[in-house]
Amino acid sequence: MTGYLGGMLVILSLNIILAYAVFLPVATGQLNLGGAAFQAVGAYTAGILSAEYDAPVIVSLFAGAAVSGVISFVLALSILRTKGVYLVLATFAFAQFVSGVIINVDLLGGALGMNVPDHIDGPIIAVAAVVILLLVMLLMQARFGLAMRAIHDDDVVAGLMGIEVRITRVAAFTIGGVLAGIAGGLYAFYFNFIEVQSFDSLSSVYLLLFVLLGGTQTVWGPLVGAAFFTVVPELFRYVVAHLPVGHAASTGQLDTSWRFIILGAITVLMMVWRPEGVVTRTGLGRLLHRRVEKQA
Amino acid sequence: MILILQQIVNGVMLGAVYVTVALAFNLTIGILNFLNFTIPPLFMVTAMFAWAVAEHGLPFGLTGPLNWALALGVGIVLTILISLVVERLTFRYMKARYGDATEHAIPLVSSLGFLLILENLVRIAYGTEPHRFATPFQDLNIRVGGLIVSLPQLLSLFLALAIVFGLSRMLATTKTGRALRSIAENPDASLLMGVDVSRIVPVVFVLSGLLCGVAGAIFAVNYGQVYSGMGNEIGNKAIAGMVLGGLGSIWGAIAGGVIVGVIEAMSVHLFGGDTVQAIVWGLLLVALIVRPQGLFGHNAIGKGKL
Amino acid sequence: MSAVPDIALSLRHVSKSFFGLQVVTDVSFDVLRGQRTALIGPNGAGKTTVFNLVSGAFGVDQGEILLDGTNIAPLSPGKRATMGLARSFQNIRLMPHLSVVENVMVGQHARTRGLMDLLTPLWLPRNRVWREEAEAQLRAFGLETYPNEVTANLPYGIRKKIEVVRALMSHPKVLLLDEPAAGLNTRETAELKDFLLDVAERGVTLLVVEHDMSLVRSLCDHTVVLNFGRKIYDGPTAEVQNDPGVLEAYLGPRHDAA
Repeated sequence: MTGYLGGMLVILSLNIILAYAVFLPVATGQLNLGGAAFQAVGAYTAGILSAEYDAPVIVSLFAGAAVSGVISFVLALSILRTKGVYLVLATFAFAQFVSGVIINVDLLGGALGMNVPDHIDGPIIAVAAVVILLLVMLLMQARFGLAMRAIHDDDVVAGLMGIEVRITRVAAFTIGGVLAGIAGGLYAFYFNFIEVQSFDSLSSVYLLLFVLLGGTQTVWGPLVGAAFFTVVPELFRYVVAHLPVGHAASTGQLDTSWRFIILGAITVLMMVWRPEGVVTRTGLGRLLHRRVEKQA
Repeated sequence: MILILQQIVNGVMLGAVYVTVALAFNLTIGILNFLNFTIPPLFMVTAMFAWAVAEHGLPFGLTGPLNWALALGVGIVLTILISLVVERLTFRYMKARYGDATEHAIPLVSSLGFLLILENLVRIAYGTEPHRFATPFQDLNIRVGGLIVSLPQLLSLFLALAIVFGLSRMLATTKTGRALRSIAENPDASLLMGVDVSRIVPVVFVLSGLLCGVAGAIFAVNYGQVYSGMGNEIGNKAIAGMVLGGLGSIWGAIAGGVIVGVIEAMSVHLFGGDTVQAIVWGLLLVALIVRPQGLFGHNAIGKGKL
Repeated sequence: MSAVPDIALSLRHVSKSFFGLQVVTDVSFDVLRGQRTALIGPNGAGKTTVFNLVSGAFGVDQGEILLDGTNIAPLSPGKRATMGLARSFQNIRLMPHLSVVENVMVGQHARTRGLMDLLTPLWLPRNRVWREEAEAQLRAFGLETYPNEVTANLPYGIRKKIEVVRALMSHPKVLLLDEPAAGLNTRETAELKDFLLDVAERGVTLLVVEHDMSLVRSLCDHTVVLNFGRKIYDGPTAEVQNDPGVLEAYLGPRHDAA
C-alpha cells in the first residue's frame, strides 16, 4: 500500500478520526470550532516527545492524545458552566491561540515547521481509524450515546429526566479532544513534518463543516462527510489545473481556495434545504427498512 | 514612559477599528442571538474592493480608477449588499421545526460557509499579498507633548465614537430601535405585539454591514495597506473585544475594542509583533473562563440554545 | 379513606413573588397517594406557578414541598426526578429525532446506576431489559404500533400519550401533568382521559393542572382551587361547583368563561 492511493487512504483515515473528534461534541449540541487546534496539540506534543526526548512512538502518541484530552476537559468544564454561544467562542479563541503560540515558540519550530524523525506506516493509521470508528459506534449505542442525543434534541427535558447534562457534554467534548490528539500524533509521524499552517483556524472550520454536512444524527454522517471531502477535492484538483482564472501565485493556492469556496457554497445551500446533513435517521431508516426494525 | 504612553495612544487608535467591528458582532448577537462569522470577511471585502476600484475602476470596465473616497463608498455599499444576501440565506429560510441544537446553529454554520466563500473569492481575485491604498493625508500627524497622533486616526476614532453614539440613540429613541430591542428581548412576544420581524431583521444586517464597511474604510485609510488576510487577523480580534466588553452591550464593545487595541499595541512594543495573536486570544480564553459575561455583559445574551 | 392519610406530596405554606409581585401566597395542600388531584383556578390564579415550584423550574421564596416526607424545595429539577417526581409538558417536549422507544428509554435514565449502565451497548444481554421494559410499557397502553418511528412524524394525541409513558418510566411517586388536554379536540380529550385513568389504576399518583373542567370532573377525585395566588377550595371534585367561594372566583365581578 504505497504511492498515490496509499496516501489517499491515510488522509481519509486521518479525516475520519478527526470527523469523529468533532462529531462527539456536536452530537450533544456543541459546535467545536477548534478541531484542528486540538489536532495540533496532539501533533506537537507527540513530535517534541519523539524528536527532543527520544520517547517511543506509542508513548508520544498517547501523550499527545492525553494532553489534548486534558486541555479539552479543562476548557469544556469551565466554559460549560454558561450556556449558549460561549463554548463556540472559546474553541474559536483556542484555535487562534494555538496558532499564535506555535509561531512564537522556537522549540515548536515557529513558522518554519518542525521535523519529526520517527515514522508510522499508512496501514497502522487505517487500522486506528477503523478501531476508533467501532469504538464511537459502540459508545453511541450505549445509554451514554442515547443521553447525548437526548441533550442535542432538548437539554432542558434531558436534565429533568435525570441526565447529567453538563457532565455528558464535558465528557463528549473531552473524548473528542482525545481523538483529535490521536489524529494529530498520527499525522506528525506519518508526514514526519508539521507546520502551523496545517492546523489553522480555516482547517477547523473546514473540519466542522464536513461533519455537519455529512449529518450528525447518526454515526454514519461523519464517515460520509469525511469520505466525500477527501475524495472530491482530489478529483477537483484535475479540474482546477485547467481553469484559466485567478491571480493566485501557485496552482496549489488556487486549488485550496476553490475547494473552500465550493465547500462554503454547499454549506450555505445545505443550511437552506437540508440543515440536518446528508445522512439522517429517517433517511437511513427508509434505506435499510428491515434492519432498523430489528436493530437496537 | 513616553514610549508607553505612545503605545497606549496607538492602541486606542487601533481600537477604533475593533470597536466598530465589535459593534457589528454585538448587534447580530444581541438582537438575533446570531454569532455572525461573515463580519470579519465583510470588513476585509470593503477594503479590498475599495482598493480594486481605486486601482482599476469598477468591474467590467464601467469606469476608470476611482477617487479613494468614492472607492471606499463603493466598498461600503457592496458590503451592505453582501450583508443582505447573507441575511436572506441565513435567516430568511430558517424554519424552526424541532427546536433542537442543530437548528439553532443554522445561521452560525451558514455564516461559516459565507466566510469560506468570501475569503477565498478575494484571494483568487486579488491575491494574498498586501496592496497599497493611497490617500492624500497619509502622513498628517499632530504632536501633543512628546506624543505623535496621526490625524486620520484621530478622525477615525471620532467617527467610530459618533457612530456608536448615533446607534445607541437610534436604538433608544426611534420606532425601529424599539422594535429591534423588543426582538432582542423576546422574539415571540414582539411578533405578537405586531413587530414585523421579517422586515426588521434586514435592518440589523444593513447596520452591521455598514459598521463592517466603515471599519474597513478606517483601516484602509489609516494603515494605507489592505490584504486578504485582514479579516482573519484584524476583524476576528473584534470578537475578543466584544467578549471582553460583554456580549450585547454597546458600551462593552467600546471598552473591549479599545482594551484589545491597547493590549495589542503594548505587546507589539514589549514582545514583538508575532506575539499579538497568542496574547490577545490567550487573554480572551482566560476572560471566557473567569468572567464570560464580560465587563458590561447582559446575563441573558448569548445564553440561548445554540 | 383510611384514618391516617397516606400523603405522597405536600405543600406547606409555599409563597413566591416575582419582581415584588406576590404570585403565590401561603399555599398548603396535600396530594394523597393513589389519588387524582386537580389544581384549577381562573387565569392568573397562580396554578402554573405552583406547578413550576413543585417541578423545580423556580425555587420557592418560603415554605416546604414534601415528597414522601422529604423537603425537595431546595433541590434541582433533575434531582427531584431521581427522587420520584415526573412531569409532562403543556406543549409536548419529546426528543424529535429519537424514536418512540428511545424517548421512553430516556425516561428510564433516572434509574440507571453506575458507569456500566451508561457505557455498555444497550443490545448487550445485561442491558436488554431496559428496551424490553420500554416496549412492554408501550404495549400496555396500546402504543406498540410504531416503536421505531421518529416521534416528530407522529400525530399530536399519540405524542401526548408517549410523553406520559416516558414520564412513567422513572417509576415516579407523583406524576405532574401540565394542562394535558391543551391542543386536543373533544374526541382526543376523551381518549386521553381513559388513558390517564388507566395510568392512575396502575398506582400512580396524579397532580393535574387543567383548564378543561369536564376533564377535571371525569378524571380527578380531589380538587384544589387557587385564586389570586391563594387557596380558596380544597376538597372533593364533586362539590367544587357548589362552593360559593369558587363560584364567586369564576363567575364573580367579571363573568369569566374559564
